[in-house]
Amino acid sequence: MVTFSVDYFRDLETPRLALLAPNLVAAAFPLMKLMPARYILDRAASNGELKAGSHIVETTSGTFGMAVALLSAARGYRLTLVTASTLIDAKYKARLERIGATVIALDDPRGDGNQPGRLARLQEILGKERDGFWTRQYDSPGNWLAYARLAELFIRAMGKVDCLVGCVGTGGSLCGTASFLRTVFPHLTVFAVDTHRSILFGQPVGKRMLRGLGNSVLPKNVRHELVDEIHWVGAFPAYMTAHRLLREHGIFMGPTSGAAALVAQWVASTLPDAQVAVIMPDEGHRHAETVYNDDWLAALPGWPCKELSEPRTLTTIAPAAETQWTRFLWLRRSLDDVLKTQSASEVPPAVGAAENL
Amino acid sequence: MAGASGLMSHEVSRSSVGTGTAIAHHGELIQGVFKDDGGRLHRGLVTLPIAGLRSEATFARSDDDAILVHPDHKIKASAAARLTLDFLNVTGGGVLTLRSSIPVGHGYGSSTADVVASIRAVAAALKVQLRPSSIGRLAVAAERASDAIAFDDHAVLFAQREGMVIENFGGSLPPLLLIGFKANGGVPVDTLQLPPARYDSAEIQEFGVLRALVARAVRRQDPYLLGRAASASAVLSQRHLPKQGFDEVAEIARRAGACGVQVAHSGSLFGLIFDLFAANLKRRAALVAQQIRRAGFNDVEVHMVNAEGRTW
Repeated sequence: MVTFSVDYFRDLETPRLALLAPNLVAAAFPLMKLMPARYILDRAASNGELKAGSHIVETTSGTFGMAVALLSAARGYRLTLVTASTLIDAKYKARLERIGATVIALDDPRGDGNQPGRLARLQEILGKERDGFWTRQYDSPGNWLAYARLAELFIRAMGKVDCLVGCVGTGGSLCGTASFLRTVFPHLTVFAVDTHRSILFGQPVGKRMLRGLGNSVLPKNVRHELVDEIHWVGAFPAYMTAHRLLREHGIFMGPTSGAAALVAQWVASTLPDAQVAVIMPDEGHRHAETVYNDDWLAALPGWPCKELSEPRTLTTIAPAAETQWTRFLWLRRSLDDVLKTQSASEVPPAVGAAENL
Repeated sequence: MAGASGLMSHEVSRSSVGTGTAIAHHGELIQGVFKDDGGRLHRGLVTLPIAGLRSEATFARSDDDAILVHPDHKIKASAAARLTLDFLNVTGGGVLTLRSSIPVGHGYGSSTADVVASIRAVAAALKVQLRPSSIGRLAVAAERASDAIAFDDHAVLFAQREGMVIENFGGSLPPLLLIGFKANGGVPVDTLQLPPARYDSAEIQEFGVLRALVARAVRRQDPYLLGRAASASAVLSQRHLPKQGFDEVAEIARRAGACGVQVAHSGSLFGLIFDLFAANLKRRAALVAQQIRRAGFNDVEVHMVNAEGRTW
């Protein structure tokens, strides 16, 4: 008989580490969200919240849904994912359904993702289920706690880590990894990567072109006080960096990983004596017909744009065009603190807005 | 426990005498709970060995069934000798004599050192070389919870209540200078009276990070990373067995440029960790020792770890 104690999904959630520059290590994940999904399900199973045959629910159309779908298939849970018709494409929905998930895509007349409607439907399902379990990736501490494993992997590979760069969507990966690294390296500088018109770091909500980065609601797992610098990367520089990762390093990642790599390469070249780690959350396959398709790219107004080698530093938080890359010194403040300072500031908010189109 | 069946079934001279020694330690670099490959949690620790203090055991076999131990209160050592005879499938008894320079009750591991020295002495009397893993298991069987001193200066993450290696770091700790002293007025701690610490999820996850630091520190012989791990584990230990004056000690360590602060997690010892090859170490160490004495701590001592014959 074969004895096999290692969980297959632990291997699948483990990133490959790539050296992008002498002082820059990238964690390139096939499917990063497996890390929090597996941790949350393991914890729920061990404390009895989750039993064989339990019904898991979540409001996601992203890779967290994919991760929970794979785990549910292997462990015998039922899964319902509630999303909005504007947020999920037919192919991804079909992939999730093939794994065995039930996908409910609600109408989205306002085009904002209809989060209130999704939460209402989720509660309705939970109310009817005796063995219902909501993974709550936005607010569950399990989301950020899971990333101690990523901190371990960076430390085993790099030793001391001076700077950490990562995308923010739920806040789990960046804030989790940062808080564990900072307990042992208090000097760690944290660079958060967001995109224009995401509300996470004080921008007004608006239509975002870059999928899988930023948010239009604020999850509890975003802990602003951990962040030293915030960068907002538009869709175009993110796409171009994803292409460059493939051409120069043979690494096939999604555009959010491109955004993180763009910022990380700038940090690593600006601070050549610092050891820099960057989190790259997903692969490029899901984007083969868009970000990696010349016809699709050619149809984008303004494509191709000029390559950017450095961000524009803002003194007032404001959105910018999808061709732009901006940065703001957050300095480990709370969102309230930053917004208060912003509203008291003399700088007219129109400065940044003039360039947005 | 599985016996080494058949190995010692042949006739062994009953008059043989063996000796064994075991070194002390200065508490733990890290201690907490850790996941094994299957994701199960185990209490575990990484011991900080100091070779300057040691226990020495002599075992003289006899035809008599009893084991006589000197001094006669060392009953765990006597139990360890019996367990070792059983493990090696040998009948009879003997006289076990212990001599130790290790102070009792502060976290120097005096008890485990006696136990390990006794196991080694019995094995030596039978002309058997035991593996460290077997010695570790026998030690846990003899005293319920044991440190990793059976592995000498070899760095392992050891499950102290199961006698099992969770992770073998594959080498020795880097050469260190340790300025050691006692907290809480030097009052000894009875380790077996302490309830096992209960850790929350965030602490359990953090222990994995500390383990990674130790792994890297051993692989690259990096005292700085080892110090970072020790300091973080000491901070966690404050929530479970607080030591008076911790913040003051941490501040002295920071100003002196120490790699970190280390504690005996179930004792009263404090240690400031320095890179043995750091510049101006003699002068800095003397200064630090003075500051520690002035802050009111007792018994300031200098220990070297893996110094390979260097003298202070």
